[in-house]
Amino acid sequence: MAQIKDRYAIVGVGESERSKNSGTTPLHLALDAARAAIQDAGIEAKDIDGFMSYSENDSCTSHQLATYLGVRPKYVKDIMGGGSSTEMLIADAIGLIETGQVNTVLIYRAMNGRSGVRMGGGGWDINMLQSAIDGGSFIIPYGAGGPAQWFGLFATRHMHETGLTQEHLGHVCVSFYEHAQRNPKAYFYGKPLTMEAYKETPYLSYPFNKHDFCLESDEANAIIVTSAERAKDCQSRPAYIMGITARQCVSHSHYWSDLSEVAADYVAPELYKKAGISPADLDVASIYDCYSWVVLRQLEAYGIAPRGEVGDFVAAGNLRMGGKLPSNTAGGMLSEGYTHGMNNVLEIVRQIRHDYKGTDRQVENCEFGLCTGWAGPDIAGAMILRN
Amino acid sequence: MDYQKPIPLKNQDNHPYWDAADRHELLIQKCESCGHYSHPPGPACSKCGSAELSWENLGSEVNGTIYSFIISYRPFLPGFQDDLPLVIAVVELDKAPQVKLIANVLNCNPQDVSIGMNVKMTWQDITEDRALPQWIPA
Repeated sequence: MAQIKDRYAIVGVGESERSKNSGTTPLHLALDAARAAIQDAGIEAKDIDGFMSYSENDSCTSHQLATYLGVRPKYVKDIMGGGSSTEMLIADAIGLIETGQVNTVLIYRAMNGRSGVRMGGGGWDINMLQSAIDGGSFIIPYGAGGPAQWFGLFATRHMHETGLTQEHLGHVCVSFYEHAQRNPKAYFYGKPLTMEAYKETPYLSYPFNKHDFCLESDEANAIIVTSAERAKDCQSRPAYIMGITARQCVSHSHYWSDLSEVAADYVAPELYKKAGISPADLDVASIYDCYSWVVLRQLEAYGIAPRGEVGDFVAAGNLRMGGKLPSNTAGGMLSEGYTHGMNNVLEIVRQIRHDYKGTDRQVENCEFGLCTGWAGPDIAGAMILRN
Repeated sequence: MDYQKPIPLKNQDNHPYWDAADRHELLIQKCESCGHYSHPPGPACSKCGSAELSWENLGSEVNGTIYSFIISYRPFLPGFQDDLPLVIAVVELDKAPQVKLIANVLNCNPQDVSIGMNVKMTWQDITEDRALPQWIPA
């Protein structure tokens, strides 16, 4: 197996405007994000020869994007996927560069996640859902129509087994909303959340209230991946990839016979081994946060706090600035925006590059950053970056 | 009035389960090779990949214990607006603890639902020829 530690880097990140009603197409959003990432890297569009995207059939194709950037690509790929797709495509890009197929890859996610196709449902054909989802006819007739419920069933059980409480979910929300107050581009900028307000919020789908849910937004994000060698020619400071575990799976999430394990449990050991560091070495993190509980479960999976002690870890303020592991420092998907995780990737790159140096948003002298992806309890991937 | 909620779709792999439900019986797919109960049913065993599958009839007296649950306060699918708050529970079967079966918990106050609670299966006749397995407090 080729040793890729520190041999690849993310050299550019960019995003489109974020809104609840873009009034434009995913292709326009993707072009805005791609141009911003290209400018950030200080390269020309024609320096990019590979384009990749993930979507839920709600985007434009990477071939379209390349075309309107004026580029003739050597490689285009569009996959169906949500959370953890960024990490998987980065690993795919590294493989392609490693085998000489391409030199530099742009990966993006573009979506009208609020004004267009909404992940939270609405307007779904119920018979289509029964067929499209594995085991769908065993959940849809009972009203279990979205991830809040599917993941919620894992959450209630996990909370019961490990002593996590509603307040612990609240600490995740309050910490991330607090980060959003330093990010003028965050959707909940100017809308802080107190624990009191959190606890007074009625349940939407127990054990979750609306703050435990991620946002829906119209936006596109893009990143550029290339070799460490080529990274030297870019104007940006590279965020080196120390290790990446593209994807691990356990039985499909609609197989409920075992709620005790999640795919992330299998990602972590491999990832730390590849990166050559341990959880205690991490300075900053982007933890996939489609729901607050998903963060708590991953803190356990990634060895950041032992099972049974995750609640105390977040209650002590460790996800906040100055804590042991400031996480989702742009506000995350709970309070910044939602692109199936890519906005969290942009933030970890910016932290690792010390882009916010001199402001209260910078995690001081951070060197190692963890970025996790979660498609569900059943699929996950993650990477560790360094400056 | 016609039943407004989704009716379980039968397909090649699951129809023995739903056919049995229509008769108010519980049939669970079982792997002949490794003995694992495969639920939800599929084209092969989700544990070992064997296609040697059979169906075990657990009859009409089915008891279980709530393993996990959620309570929906908003309809996430059409047809459920009059059922709120709606309890969706994963229930461990007493006769086959390996099997965790999802259904609503009916005839009880959602606030009283907890992990470990004993429930028994009932069948809701939702159309002339279809029935839906559900849980009620034991």
